[in-house]
Amino acid sequence: MKHLTNLKFLFFTLVFILNACRPEKDKPLPVLGHREVVVNEVNGQKVVDTVYHTIADFEFVNQDSIRVTQNTFSDKIYVADFFFTSCRTICPKMKTQMLRVYDSIQSLPDVLILSHTIDPEHDDIAKLHDFADRLGVQSSKWHFVTGDQDKIFDIAQTSYFATAMVDNTEPDGFIHSGAFLLIDKERRIRGKYDGTREEDVNRLIQDIKRLKKEYAQ
Amino acid sequence: MRSSLWIILPVALVLVITCDRSNRILSDKKPSIKFTQYYLQGEQLYQKHCSNCHQPDGTGLGRVYPPLHQSDFMTNNFEQVICLMKKGMEGEITVNGKEYNQPMPGVSTLTDLEIAEIATYIYNTWEHQRGIIEVSEASRILRECR
Repeated sequence: MKHLTNLKFLFFTLVFILNACRPEKDKPLPVLGHREVVVNEVNGQKVVDTVYHTIADFEFVNQDSIRVTQNTFSDKIYVADFFFTSCRTICPKMKTQMLRVYDSIQSLPDVLILSHTIDPEHDDIAKLHDFADRLGVQSSKWHFVTGDQDKIFDIAQTSYFATAMVDNTEPDGFIHSGAFLLIDKERRIRGKYDGTREEDVNRLIQDIKRLKKEYAQ
Repeated sequence: MRSSLWIILPVALVLVITCDRSNRILSDKKPSIKFTQYYLQGEQLYQKHCSNCHQPDGTGLGRVYPPLHQSDFMTNNFEQVICLMKKGMEGEITVNGKEYNQPMPGVSTLTDLEIAEIATYIYNTWEHQRGIIEVSEASRILRECR
């Protein structure tokens, strides 16, 4: 009899734990950034809409000299970051971790990576091509882009909320955050991760799968 | 009870003999206190100054940062390796038949002793077994760096 009570207890504990776990995994990822509630009139009816922060239009060039714009990522989920090839502080760690992300999305055709150089003067197309080649990655999956420095800094700060600027007191001449940003198919930011920390990148890899589920329904 | 003793005894005997033998092998080349000090200090310095690019386990990253865990370059260019830790290097090098070309900044603030410690660490970890690199040796090489 006592044995049975123990079993019952174990069963209910298990059910409780499993239930507690489930919602977190199924919950949609948050949408980051400011939002506005807009009231529109449609056919005389008031309709309330939430307008989320989205990534602005952009136009850069990738390691294969191909123009890369927001259209390159239409109907795609992507992970964005900011780096430069000669950086010796946090970038090597970021690239080590982004390579893990790259490996994890090999079988997911609608997930891409977009790495912006913040040192376009040094990181021209040839340099980025060489870098991607040395990492052994496909340009169709992982875009390394260069362009006008002001535009890159601007989109980093105003669209992706990532820090990127010139700072001559730094050993490499720049300060920039090691953040990885997860962007959904509606160009909204759905997650921000420290690209130098393995645990954070583990979370990103899981979140990509979670975000994909939203589109599977 | 008695039968299990007959199993345990021989096993224990074999263990004692093999342990004793491996201890003796170790004691022939037992790392000196100095080696251990250099090695442990070198490991910390490696993790701080080098592992960012060359990775904590020395495997490097693609063809961007060359590996150290298996490296014919390290074996064949010992003096150059000592120098480049402090002075950095640029240009193409070949490691294990693969070409690398990423400038490496030197860490000019490293002392001769710290370089000897890092060298002791990287040259006695993974596939390397060079033994201790004395500070006197590091100083001599560093004086002659081009």
